[in-house]
Amino acid sequence: MNAISTAIALLLLTAFTAGPGLAAEKPDGTARAKEILNKVDDMWRGKSSRAILTMKVQTANYTRAMSLEGWSKGKGMSLVRVTYPLKEKGTATLKTGPVIYTYLPKTDKTIRLTSGMMSGSWMGSHLTNDDLVKESRLTEDFTAVVTFEGQRDGAYAMDFSLTPKPDSAVVWGKITMTLHVEGNDYLPVTEVFYDEELKPARTIVFMDIKTFAGRRLPAVMKVTPADKPGEFTELVYQSLDFEIPLDDSFFSISQLRRD
Amino acid sequence: MNIAMFALRNAGRNKLRSAVTVGAMGLAGGIMILYGSLMDGVMTTMIRNVVDMEVGDIQIHRKGYRDDMDFYKSAPDTEGLARKLEAQGFYASPRLFGYGLSAAGSASSGVFLKGIDVGREKMVSKLHNHLLSGSWLDSRDMKGVVIGKKLARTLGVAVGGEIVVVSQAGDGSMANDLYIVRGVLKSVSESMDRSGVIMTDAAFRELMVFPEGAHEITLKRRDQSELLAVAAGRAVAVANGLEVKTWRELRPVIARVFDLWDVSMLFMLVITYSAITLVTFNASLMSVFERIPEFGMMKALGFTPGRVLQLVFAETLTLAVAACVVALAVGLPTAYYSQVYGIDLSHVWPGGSFGGVAFDPVWRSQITLKSTVTPLFFIFVVALLSALYPGVKAALINPVAAMRLR
Repeated sequence: MNAISTAIALLLLTAFTAGPGLAAEKPDGTARAKEILNKVDDMWRGKSSRAILTMKVQTANYTRAMSLEGWSKGKGMSLVRVTYPLKEKGTATLKTGPVIYTYLPKTDKTIRLTSGMMSGSWMGSHLTNDDLVKESRLTEDFTAVVTFEGQRDGAYAMDFSLTPKPDSAVVWGKITMTLHVEGNDYLPVTEVFYDEELKPARTIVFMDIKTFAGRRLPAVMKVTPADKPGEFTELVYQSLDFEIPLDDSFFSISQLRRD
Repeated sequence: MNIAMFALRNAGRNKLRSAVTVGAMGLAGGIMILYGSLMDGVMTTMIRNVVDMEVGDIQIHRKGYRDDMDFYKSAPDTEGLARKLEAQGFYASPRLFGYGLSAAGSASSGVFLKGIDVGREKMVSKLHNHLLSGSWLDSRDMKGVVIGKKLARTLGVAVGGEIVVVSQAGDGSMANDLYIVRGVLKSVSESMDRSGVIMTDAAFRELMVFPEGAHEITLKRRDQSELLAVAAGRAVAVANGLEVKTWRELRPVIARVFDLWDVSMLFMLVITYSAITLVTFNASLMSVFERIPEFGMMKALGFTPGRVLQLVFAETLTLAVAACVVALAVGLPTAYYSQVYGIDLSHVWPGGSFGGVAFDPVWRSQITLKSTVTPLFFIFVVALLSALYPGVKAALINPVAAMRLR
């Protein structure tokens, strides 16, 4: 589990399970790191979920706002539908396992994204299609260790460093993550992704802790790319429900067309 | 009897040797005519596919655009700039580029979108004449597109088929629309064949929410005899602050190949004719050695050394003329056949690209004056070189000593 996973999990409501290989199976600090990160993961995880959120994207060339509604079930099924603006209303993204389909109401067509499109932007945001399908695997590819634990700036903080396992095929050279511990809650604060040269590539900041369906979670997530100063994608959750009844057939291509 | 008649008669005295010599020279000449035509065919394809189909003579971009082809790095007011360039002796066509995804049925593929001014593009490119099937774009048809042949195969569509194009528009929204395939292009370049979707500039602007400017202005000189560098200088003066590049700068690999073409052709001719020179030299030498008493008699009767030298050269040149006839008889029909029907290599090579330029698996030659005359010229060079030593030997012969050999 890592914070971008949680972000994507919320975004697409992918209720994934942290991979058992997040931390190495060694009797040292990595086992504890794994246990804590699994707890964070459990906060977002449910058998099924539904969310209503807004997404604001600011780039050097445009600023746009969207309203989204999403559902998820199990580890790999999710559906997100655009509810605003009118021009894109009804546009839907369906994720079933490693495959992403997009429904385009203007043309009444559903297309399956090719591997070449996976690195492309999702809905004009700073998240890629690849983020949507790769994140649940990421947890299996990194080894996590606690690099700091204690009081800092008036809060009990924990820093984690995640490094790729030698045989894992991942694009990030390193991920660092900061959590705040409040009672029994582990709340993500920041997550920084580093490229293969270990230079920061993007940062995610989690803000505005709220209670959704009895769980305390950050309601705001802001993604900032390192190479594009002033640009960001901000996701704000209005509502988030867990354990709602959903059939598998809800996550089908035919369901994409339903307005 | 003049020298020419002597030479003709002597060339016929040993018919088998003359036939072998003429055959060797003629066959080599014929092969070189075919080879030169095939190579000129490759060059013609290269230049046509690079300059006439895609790059044009000169291109103008906003500085930095070519580094990453960023959609937002467009040149402003390209319409005004195109008019200024047209007033400066150019044909100018603004082009718009983007990337996206195209789908038809259950098939989909990444695509390279190209928006063009249909009227202007015809002045800088011959792409509209390079259709495998269907017809070219119509500026009034906002829903018509022309696509690359490999893309058509990937999507499983033909002329009249429907494709959906999806991309990220300039305002960040999801660009998507349906288009009808009006035409499918013949092979142009790897990228165009595999992913090219060409539409009208108006359709592109609407799809991609791209109201003004363009990513590229392609220029063609109205006067093709004008030096490329001189024309580029005029374009630089007009395109203030923008990057101006000639096709040679944009496609340096192809330009280099083009520059080295004559050298490589010359190299092949030298290799081929080196062997033929030995055959011809041997024949000429044997012809002289067999007739030493005869040359002695001729000199005793008053033939000067210069006349003897002329005779030997004339004999070899007679063979060279015959060899040229053989070379033309062998080379031209085979070159013509491969020009019309091509050599189909599809069973061993399915086609591909070199330096980004696509080549068909059917290799077609191109008969040119240069590819025909150069091998013939080399036949005469070979003949003269081969006759030089035997001719001098015969010219300097001592008549008395020579006649004693009888």
